[in-house]
Amino acid sequence: MLRQDINELLTQTGPGTPMGDLFRQYWIPALLAEELPENDSPPVRVKLLSERLIAFRDSEGRYGLIDEFCAHRGASLWFGRNEGSGLRCPYHGWKYDVTGQCVEVPSEADNSSFCENVKLRAYPLVKVGDILWTYMGDPAKRPDLPEFEFAHVPPEQTYTSKRWQQCNWLQAFEGGIDSSHVTFLHSGGLKSDPLFKGAKGNEYNMKDTKPFFEVADSEGGLFVGARRNAEEGTYYWRITPWVMPAFTMVPPRGDHPVHGHFWVPIDDENCWTYSFDYHPARPLTAAERQAMIDGHGVHSKNIPGTYRPVANMDNDYLIDREAQKRGETYSGVAGIAMQDASLQESMGPIVDRTKERLVPADSGIIKARQKLRKAAIALRDEGVTPPGVDTAHHRVRSAAVVLPQAESFLDSCRDAVKATPGVPHSSV
Amino acid sequence: MYASESARAASASESRYRITVPIAPARNARVIALDARAAAVARRISDGPWANARFYTCEATRGGGPADEFLLYGLDGVPATLDDTLRGTDVVVVIGTDDSGGTRAAAIGNACSARAITTAGVVLGDGFEADDAVAALRPHARVLLLSADESDAFELLMALRV
Repeated sequence: MLRQDINELLTQTGPGTPMGDLFRQYWIPALLAEELPENDSPPVRVKLLSERLIAFRDSEGRYGLIDEFCAHRGASLWFGRNEGSGLRCPYHGWKYDVTGQCVEVPSEADNSSFCENVKLRAYPLVKVGDILWTYMGDPAKRPDLPEFEFAHVPPEQTYTSKRWQQCNWLQAFEGGIDSSHVTFLHSGGLKSDPLFKGAKGNEYNMKDTKPFFEVADSEGGLFVGARRNAEEGTYYWRITPWVMPAFTMVPPRGDHPVHGHFWVPIDDENCWTYSFDYHPARPLTAAERQAMIDGHGVHSKNIPGTYRPVANMDNDYLIDREAQKRGETYSGVAGIAMQDASLQESMGPIVDRTKERLVPADSGIIKARQKLRKAAIALRDEGVTPPGVDTAHHRVRSAAVVLPQAESFLDSCRDAVKATPGVPHSSV
Repeated sequence: MYASESARAASASESRYRITVPIAPARNARVIALDARAAAVARRISDGPWANARFYTCEATRGGGPADEFLLYGLDGVPATLDDTLRGTDVVVVIGTDDSGGTRAAAIGNACSARAITTAGVVLGDGFEADDAVAALRPHARVLLLSADESDAFELLMALRV
């Protein structure tokens, strides 16, 4: 359980809230680079941390993320004309550059200095990998750009998708460090999903449905180790790193690409789930990339032209009770991503954590909440920079290994959980 | 107008109709400190708002017996056997800070396993002062929390509603 005031602290990320200020210490995904595919492409509405913004790519290829609404009469710049190195409001022609600076007010006299005093709130928008990242905090404290491995391998080795999730970011994120649900909810996928199936580790997963957990601090967040019995005298370990505030990686399976997520609050009742797959040592095969595009693995099949999953709450996630009976899926919902999302969204927009009955196996979640709360309060009260801002904290990996029973995963996997360019991930 | 049962049921307005009844503390917990520093932590957190948690320290049997012979003491100093301590409980949280408690951890873990009692270990420290205790607990503890932060023990108990 969690006290109501702490639940509110962790789930509210708007301007001026402690968690909102915490998120504003980091570079976070704002949109996919594919959403602004070329210079002067149409602007895109972006809502992040309860702020309504507009993203655009100007005639010189510069990215901008500015207040959605024109300073003149408050019209949405989504209707704007992206032309001549700026975004022009079609209502009265006011024009803004990527820094939010108003550069033209047609109704004013030529050479008027009026527009120099008109500037919309703007945030930096930078492409790293397949994602356009933004930093919404104090410009004086802007950290170095993200160094997560998935965003730095060559383009042919990585793929990123995103989907709209209709619940608060925290209940979506908590699924990412909850390894014990895999054996149940995703059991069908372990057997059939092209991006999961065939790994030796899956057999350990299915044979031992009661994993043991070890949760350990890392510099940037946590490592959560889930342990199952393997061959005589050995354990199968699945190690999930969490980097604050919202980056997690799923332990790999065989030589499949390794995957993970970044959960970004849209507002307090919606979030973006960014899902990535990459292989540190080889290009993705055409079949793998197609499987990701088709919504397999951690990805979702989205409604064309949107980032809303085809299976969503408005169609009961296309639940198939017959497939459930046949054992093809455990919940009746197809796909790893929507199996998670359907249950997380079913909790309601913001789950009431005062009513939970947690068990020791939920210790990763308990510890993560505590770290988030402490970091938010330390930032608010003492200005302490939170874990995960330092880019050294980004260079982590998940791992899946078989170890002798006496060995600690922390001791034995020091190298395995470090991102080392070109070196394959540790996987079973 | 909602498109589906899921959309309607997951709405904020519909959450008003969720059944609300007081949730009784679900766990009858024992918290056992394996070593002297852990005992200090147990004393500090024992003042919490616990309904069904009892706190114990471990000490070697007086007169010096084998390493796996030890007595538990309540924080009021009243001794108790491990058998008595575990009677009626459904979760044991073991706190350790160094290797001196390794043998005791193994004995407690074995006893809990034999009685189908869920065991959790909180091992506090910055380094690897408690490797033996961790190794001893590993086969038995459903979860091991390795942390530099002693408030983890408090937070775990709060989350478990003990």
